[in-house]
Amino acid sequence: MIKINNLDFAYNNTQVFKNISLEFEKGNIYGLLGENGVGKTTLLKLICGLQKPQHGSVTVDGLTPSMRQPQFLQNVYFLPEEVITEDTTPEKFIQKIGVFYPRYDFALFNQLMKELEVDLSKKFNELSHGQKKKALLACALSLQTDYLFLDEPTNGLDIPSKALFRKVISQYCNDETTVIISTHQVKDVENLIDPIIILDRDDVLLKASFAEITKKLYFEYGPERLQNAYYTEMLPGGYINVMPNEDGLESNINIEALFNAVMKNKETIKNLMQNE
Amino acid sequence: MNNTLNINRFGKILKHDGLNFFPNLILTLAILWAIPVIVYLAVALMPTNDTKDAVDAFSRVDLISTLANIAIIIAPARLYRYCNDSRKGIGYAMLPASTLEKFLSMLIYCVIVTPIVYVAGALAIDSILALFHGPYEGFAVSIYFDTFAKINAVFQRDGIMLDESFMLYYASISPIFMLILSAIGTLAISSIFMFGNMIFKKRKTGKMLGILIILFIIFMIVVINYVAHNEAINLYFQQMNDDNKAEFIKNIIFRTMDITFYAEIIISALMLFGVYRKIKTQKY
Repeated sequence: MIKINNLDFAYNNTQVFKNISLEFEKGNIYGLLGENGVGKTTLLKLICGLQKPQHGSVTVDGLTPSMRQPQFLQNVYFLPEEVITEDTTPEKFIQKIGVFYPRYDFALFNQLMKELEVDLSKKFNELSHGQKKKALLACALSLQTDYLFLDEPTNGLDIPSKALFRKVISQYCNDETTVIISTHQVKDVENLIDPIIILDRDDVLLKASFAEITKKLYFEYGPERLQNAYYTEMLPGGYINVMPNEDGLESNINIEALFNAVMKNKETIKNLMQNE
Repeated sequence: MNNTLNINRFGKILKHDGLNFFPNLILTLAILWAIPVIVYLAVALMPTNDTKDAVDAFSRVDLISTLANIAIIIAPARLYRYCNDSRKGIGYAMLPASTLEKFLSMLIYCVIVTPIVYVAGALAIDSILALFHGPYEGFAVSIYFDTFAKINAVFQRDGIMLDESFMLYYASISPIFMLILSAIGTLAISSIFMFGNMIFKKRKTGKMLGILIILFIIFMIVVINYVAHNEAINLYFQQMNDDNKAEFIKNIIFRTMDITFYAEIIISALMLFGVYRKIKTQKY
């Protein structure tokens, strides 16, 4: 379990987080959403121990990430947004680092490379950007760490690859794994992530499961723009309205509309979600 | 789980770094290995008495030692170039090994493996070249580890006659102790550039060399000023003449050796502590 307590973090004079507290439980695929520059990557780096909190604490299964103890490191893998690879094949790369991870499975790596349709014989620098990302994803998943952190994993992937991405991530997650996907391309991770966390500057605007969100908010797809909606957006064939769910109706979440509704009504929705 | 030092995990990080060793350093080593070959060819093509003297076994040992030091200077930035890079260094930081294991592995490859691989290769090349009836006479390998013979040759070449006590002193020093002295010198050079590799993001070796040159100039200005204005030292040098020149040189050498020895140990310890701290606390 990941626990963040009263976390303060700043880059020089730029405050990124101010007294935020969060918990991430096992067995979930968290979607970490937010506008550019709100600190999604920084939060992942703090959880990975690549940055150190100025105040407050971050613990992962009781261990402090910034101490970078092997016991912690062998259970986490962070796939950064920017694809940085060595002049070698993905196979040689995973064989080099895999030995450090107790549950690393080379057969799984080969299977994932096939599923993701990546050429095993090519070196990283001979692969396209999307292929490199998929190869690194296969590497990351084959390590079978308890915690997997993916920063903008779908950037640069074509449409079929995005579907493959959702498929392999769904297969990977079990009761013992925690996946946090940081993204601003919310449609790419629709039907994959649950719960959702929306970050704002200095703050966490929303952290809730789909069930909790639909209990409080109603997503209405209809022919007209509703006056009491937190957010309305025109879609082909009508409108989507994000409204308070006063009658306890069931609806399907549209993550993009949810995100925009939260960004437009920060305090209102934050208070709504916090009220029991 | 031992989070500080685990032999099995240490073996893995050694293997990991070892797999990166040749791909990252081979070009540098190849260039440095090529230099004695270029010298050989140059002398073979333009043989004069001066050039032949310049490539006797002792001179070649000097050349190989100098090139080994260059390899040591360059190695940290070639082998661990990205370990403090905010993007490219993430993989290294997240590798499940302790700070101590990563530090020891870095130390082994920069301080031990690099000079051994370079010197072994250079001596092998020298021996092959010496087999031909070309300008290389004698084998550098036969005297490379004989520090006494090397020092004697340097003094003879420079026309300095040392008294018997000095020669006896040197002859009495065990080869192992001489090796330790040499190793500490190597450690000092390497540790400085390992530290430079950790604190600078770009042009790591060049920046560290620049700092060393500036520090050396400042140091020389301070020392020259001190010596020039110190009456006791001036009086001491005024007493030097042809009869006691060897004794003076011997004393200066002994004192310089002592100071250098302790300075190298202190510098190495400080620099290596800095490297360890940087590996442990580097932010990405």
